[in-house]
Parts: sequence; C-alpha cells; structure tokens
Amino acid sequence: MNWTEKYRPKTLSEVIGNEDSKEKLVKWLVNWRSSDKYGVLLTGPPGTGKTASVYALARDFGYHVIELNASDYRTAEKIMERLGFIAYGNTLESYISGRPKRILIFFDEIDGIDPKEDRGGLDAVIKIASKKSVPVIASANFIDPVKHKALIDNFEVIEYRRLTPKQIYIIIKRISELEGLDIEDDMLLEISRRSRGDARLAINMLYAVSVGGDINVVSNPLENMPLDMLLRRISSSSSQLEIKTLLDSNSNHWEDVLYIYFDIISRSPVMKLERRVELLEHISILDVILGRMKKERAFFLMKYFTAILSWLVFQSNRWGAVYDGRIPEYRLYVFVLNRDVRTELDELLSKYGRRLHESRRKFIFDSVLAASLTNPEYENLLKWVAKMYGLEEILRRVKQYGVSKN
Amino acid sequence: MEYQRIRYGEPFQIRRRLGDLFRDVVRIKGVDYERGKGFIVRDYYALANLNKILIRMGLILTPMVECAICHRSVDCEKCGFTDVCLKDVSICLCDECLSSEDVVKRYLSVSKQSLDRYRRPTS
Repeated sequence: MNWTEKYRPKTLSEVIGNEDSKEKLVKWLVNWRSSDKYGVLLTGPPGTGKTASVYALARDFGYHVIELNASDYRTAEKIMERLGFIAYGNTLESYISGRPKRILIFFDEIDGIDPKEDRGGLDAVIKIASKKSVPVIASANFIDPVKHKALIDNFEVIEYRRLTPKQIYIIIKRISELEGLDIEDDMLLEISRRSRGDARLAINMLYAVSVGGDINVVSNPLENMPLDMLLRRISSSSSQLEIKTLLDSNSNHWEDVLYIYFDIISRSPVMKLERRVELLEHISILDVILGRMKKERAFFLMKYFTAILSWLVFQSNRWGAVYDGRIPEYRLYVFVLNRDVRTELDELLSKYGRRLHESRRKFIFDSVLAASLTNPEYENLLKWVAKMYGLEEILRRVKQYGVSKN
Repeated sequence: MEYQRIRYGEPFQIRRRLGDLFRDVVRIKGVDYERGKGFIVRDYYALANLNKILIRMGLILTPMVECAICHRSVDCEKCGFTDVCLKDVSICLCDECLSSEDVVKRYLSVSKQSLDRYRRPTS
C-alpha cells in the first residue's frame, strides 16, 4: 500500500502542522448549525493536510464522509443527482431510525469547477450547504477571488499553509519509526529540507530512500514538463505506472502525446502490421474520449484516458516504436511557439482580417505574405503561418522568385 | 530601536503614527489593513518589506513563533532550515524539542490536548 494512504492520520491530532487552522475547523464543526456561513472552505497548496484533516475530523466526531471530487462532478445536475437527497434529509435510514444520519459532505478540489463553463456547479454546492441539513466542507488549492466570489462569501475560509521543514521531519520520523527503518537522522533532515513544505512529497521521498532509491529522482518536479522532455521520459520508461504518473502530472500535453504517438506508430519500420493496427485502434478510442471530455466536459473520463494512453505508450515502447526526437511536421508549430503565443497570434490574425473585411485565410494569404516580404522583422511570423497553413511551397517560391502567391 | 512582537495572520496596531507612509505600507504584498482591527502581516517576506519602512521610525517588528511542544519562543534566524523555510507560521518547533528522542510522541500528545478542548462526546 502507498505510504501516503497507509499513514493517513486517523485523528485530527495526528495531522501535523497548521495547528491554528485545525482548531478553526473543529470550532466550526462544533457550532456549524449556528454559524452564519453555510460551510467551510479549506484552501492551500497540495500536501498540507486539507483532505487528511477532513477525514480525521469526521472520524473524531463520528461522521461518515461523502466525498465528491469536483473533477468528476462539476455540473449542477450531477451534483444534485448525487447529493440532493442528502441535502433535503430524506434518507431512508434517517426515516427508519428517526434521527438524522451523521453525514459530512466533502467537495474536494472545488476550484476544478469553473463558474462559467460548469453552469450551476458552484450554485448547487452553495444550495446544498445552505440547507444546513449536513455539514459541508470544500477544499481547493487555489481560489480565484473573482471567479469564486459566491463561494468565498458563503463559506468560512480556512487557510492551510505549507508545513515547515521541522514539521515535515516529525511526519517522516514517525513513519520511519513505525516502519522500523534504519535511516539516519541526517537523511530525514535532508528530506525535510527538500520537500518544499509538501508532506506527500516528503513521504514519497522517504519511501524512495527506504527501497534504496535516490531522493533526487522523487524531488524533481514532474509537473509542467516541456513536451520534448516529457516525450523522452515516457519513451524511455520501462513501467506503465511511471508513464501514467508522468502523464497524470502533465495533462496539458495529452493531446500532443496522442498525436505524436500516432505519428511514431504509423511510420515505425520495425513494428508488425497487426500490432500497428491494434495500437492505432486504441488511438482512435483515445481521440473519441478526448473529444468527449472537451465537448461535454466529461472529466470523469480522464482516468480512462490516461490509463489507455499509458498502456499505448508502454506497448509502443515495447514493440519498438520509440520516440526518436523527431517532431512530426504537422505538429511542428507546437514546438516553435508555445500555446499562449499561438493563441495570441491566432487572435491577432482574426482581428486584423475582420478589420480589413477579409476572411482570415484571405488575410493570411494576401496581407501577411505581402507584409512579410516588405518587412524582414516579420520573417518568423511568415514561417509560422507557412507551417500552420501548409504554405511551405508558397514560401519557398516567394523567397526564390520574390513574387507573391498570385 | 524599539522591538514589537507580532503574530502572522493576526491583526495588530503599529506603535507609530504612519501618516503618509500608510499608503506605502498597505501596498506591500502580504500586508493588509482591516479597519478597526489593524494591520495583518501574512508572511516573513512581507514583514521584511514592512520593516524596511518602519526601521526609519525606530521600530522593528519581530515574528512571534512558538514551539508547539514547550511553547517557548523560536528564533527563525538561528534555525538550520532558515534558507528553505517560508517562515509564515506562528507555531513550529524549537531545536531542543526537535532533537529529543520522543519528539513525535510529545508533539502528538500536545496536539491531542489542544484539540480535545473542543471535543464533544458523540451520540
């Protein structure tokens, strides 16, 4: 079992750090019915004990936790479908026993609900909490004061801060003692130094050390890797679990990885035809899942997506279709410019097209090409447009003859 | 030079008339002002920036950090982790308690005592 699960605090007193926040949380639960706020919102970075506090608190006070992860339940309809009956106190058990069931609703990662995109999601959470039939706790890594204003106004906000290295030391020392590990104190102190106030990271580092691993591997952040680095890591990985972990931590590159692996598998000279067909069939499934996730905001599909994609990458690596550092031509612009710059340029091109009463494509063909010829400063823009719209041939001819497309 | 002890995240009154400097003080990231309550300093870095202004008036604010176990004052500047710690909490551990053999047991015991005050028997 994962050590972060195995050593999850059983009681609130076992949650190390954030003593003030824990006290505030207990005070709120004791008087939650008379509080003028509907619920409580725990905010703070990952690994500071927010979720652990909720479960430990529930255990201390004899509540049963019903957890909803905002990644899975985002819209009003889904939230009400799952929790509406509890909010109105109509459970069969409470009817039979004649007393309300001690339930605590916990919305994890509530910052995953977008007030605009996920219509009614936050309103549903507030509506359920406003009934005051059960205590409601929400947690978030980051709360936008503008986007989540309704939530901040109606929930008591309790801040969780990063743990100090000394508090981290207490956590890993306790695990080390319980596991009977023979790890020197200096190493525990070193882990505490490197954990950046994240207890989960510290526990994972301790585990790595206990099995003879290197803490540098664990302490290197996996999130937000550049695409080429991510591709190198996943293509050289020999474990599907490792690939899945890397993909889970870099969700912004999923689409790119999918297309690049489509390219790698398609042109692999060593892979057998039937294997290639099998993998490409999985790519088509992934493409459908990705499309559905985006269109219907069905984010509960994420787990299936990463599970299949990691399997696909793992099998491709095994069967010889290894990433060789080559970037497929049609995805080149992904690497040339980052996503923000691309979006900005796209907007710019559309805007100027509209201003000149031209279609976007006509504007790119006529005005941008003309401007690029007269002004050498725009050469990069021209290259980008050429790659994006498949105009390499035109660009070559323009450079060769110095004439426009016409 | 006068020293004033404060706690992070808790309102306090500055023992000086700020006058025109008030605007500069509330512009510091991590320093807030709540009418009727006073100033609130969120972290060590905000405090360092605030002290740059207050030192001209002969006042230095020092954070009050206490040990969770023995409740003695903890000096962040002398701590071995000062370079990697955000120093934005008011409860930590002193070096003596940290180096004791039964530090985990003592920490959990103190934590239990402080939370048991609020505990009601479950029905």
